[in-house]
Amino acid sequence: MNGNPGPILEVRDLHTQFSTLDGVVRAVDGVSFDVARGETLGIVGESGCGKSVTAMSILRLIPPETGRISSGSIKFEGEELTTLSEEEMKRLRGHRISMIFQEPMTSLNPVLTVGTQIAENVVRHLGVSWKAGRERAFEMLDLVRIADARRRLDEYPHQLSGGMRQRVMIAMALSCDPQVLIADEPTTALDVTIQAQILDLMIELKEKTGTAIVLITHDLGVVAETTERVVVMYAGRKVEQAPVEALFEEPLHPYTRGLMGAIPRLDVEADAAGTRPRLQEIPGLVPILTQPIIGCAFAPRCGFATDRCRSERPPLVDAGAGHLVACWEVDRVRRAA
Amino acid sequence: MTDAPVLQVEGLVKHFPIHGGLLQRQVGAVRAVDGVTFSIRRGETLGLVGESGCGKSTIGKVVLKLIEPTAGKIVLAGEDVTALKPGAMWTHRRRIQTIFQDPYSSMNPRLPSGTIVGEPLENFGIARGAARDDQVAQLFRRVGLRPEAMRKYAHEFSGGQRQRLGIAKALSVNPDVIVADEPVSALDVSVQAQVLNLLIDLQEEYGLAYLFISHDLAVMRHISHRIAVMYLGRIVELTDKRTLFTQPLHPYTEALLSAATAPDPKRRRQRKKIVQGDVPSPAKPPPGCHFHTRCLYATAECRVTDPPLLEVAPGHHVACLRRPVGGDPGPLSVP
Repeated sequence: MNGNPGPILEVRDLHTQFSTLDGVVRAVDGVSFDVARGETLGIVGESGCGKSVTAMSILRLIPPETGRISSGSIKFEGEELTTLSEEEMKRLRGHRISMIFQEPMTSLNPVLTVGTQIAENVVRHLGVSWKAGRERAFEMLDLVRIADARRRLDEYPHQLSGGMRQRVMIAMALSCDPQVLIADEPTTALDVTIQAQILDLMIELKEKTGTAIVLITHDLGVVAETTERVVVMYAGRKVEQAPVEALFEEPLHPYTRGLMGAIPRLDVEADAAGTRPRLQEIPGLVPILTQPIIGCAFAPRCGFATDRCRSERPPLVDAGAGHLVACWEVDRVRRAA
Repeated sequence: MTDAPVLQVEGLVKHFPIHGGLLQRQVGAVRAVDGVTFSIRRGETLGLVGESGCGKSTIGKVVLKLIEPTAGKIVLAGEDVTALKPGAMWTHRRRIQTIFQDPYSSMNPRLPSGTIVGEPLENFGIARGAARDDQVAQLFRRVGLRPEAMRKYAHEFSGGQRQRLGIAKALSVNPDVIVADEPVSALDVSVQAQVLNLLIDLQEEYGLAYLFISHDLAVMRHISHRIAVMYLGRIVELTDKRTLFTQPLHPYTEALLSAATAPDPKRRRQRKKIVQGDVPSPAKPPPGCHFHTRCLYATAECRVTDPPLLEVAPGHHVACLRRPVGGDPGPLSVP
């Protein structure tokens, strides 16, 4: 790996906006984070919190007709990505930064064999021969534990199951030894037993290859079991960031606490048959992102909110040991534990 | 909970024919549901859990008689409705209603929500005009929507609010049974909690029986009283939820529980028995026990003999040759 000790990816004060008929949507509203070499960073939040748009911004895949990165900086190995030309980005994507998405069928070409699709990526980025590219494709399918990889090279995506397609996507994404893999809800469309296989595979390959993973998900269980650090997003903003153990041990933002109270748990002590404790609800709805948000975005739904929360945007402050939280009332929240 | 079942299903089979060849003759069948028996009491939630293609949604549709069963018997509130033609079934639809995963696709975009929710009241001749509007307003309040919202159209509601509309519509005819097929799967967790709480409150208030279909074990454990685990068209284990989660006996149940993620980083890497491979096609299920191709404990006999669903302990039904009646509930050994 590169000897440079700095973060592999640095996102600073990112703002990404979309123009819609209803006005400008501030999908990402000032988000900053780093990804260290070889780490797994989780970005978690509910629909519309800006987690996927953050990923798309890093990859510069925001559709230019409607959206744009309006300000901020994204540095990969110290190189600014927001100002790169499309040609330069194409050389980077699938090579040094790769991605996998929720539904592999929409990312795979239905009329090319999986071997050709993986080889194409290798030939294009590494400039090797097609023969070498195909050999690499075989190695990769074998690495992601697709049985009978030699034969599968000549199969089309529709001949594979959902879990196998996602393995093919991972094989393709890792085929050029990327430094960063961005995985946007990679297991959301899969059955639980297949999800467990894919998550285990991702962790194992990460340890083997040293690729840093940015895992974007709505699923707190997936975050807890696979990531090392977590960013929690709400309404386009980062509201909390912490090492994974600290986040689940003592969530500090009222929104994070609300999320954790809202999920039914499998791991807590089995309750007596018949009793069904109420789940904690987060009242209200997420804010509309076309309207300017004054103060804390979560204030209208928050039991701790004060006048200051409704008028001043809380800064991210370090609550100790790398645990950052954007909440004016964090001391009260802590005492309420 | 009273003991009389409001819904009984016996030996239910649903095969979908596969046509092929030049003459489009039937060349096979997808055995979506392959002999399923269960019953639900008033005020009880029976969960049907399993992965894609296990037949859980098909059971929901057959029970609602949206599709006809190939074989078996469906008894709704004491009456055999299996052979009823659509016209005759119609009067029974008041007793059994449904909630979908995506209520939006079942709502006419050109009608105000109040009209959508009130439609069953008119169809069944329960209320008309001002009386209907009063009842709809009550239903709106009961599911946590403001009655003024009756004038709004489906697209003006959020996903969680639309699910509330779907629930209000299902409730309008005062049914005995509600089939809920993945009702919270499309919702964000904070909204999911609201809808689950509402479903539980309504059940306790009206004594509703739920057939709750989901792939999500945590949701299932939260809402169900008893749970049936399905694999390739068959129930492999059926018991009360506490027993299922603390003492699962079928290797597939064990695999499902082991694969589920939990919001607890300390639990990571404790997952031990992850089953490998994919679910076989229901058009060509393996012989013997359907799960034997992925089972850690399968023996030679499992590959040829169909395991019957047996009551191995009171209220605990398991379909596994290695789990005989009165057998040791401890861990199985790998042969």
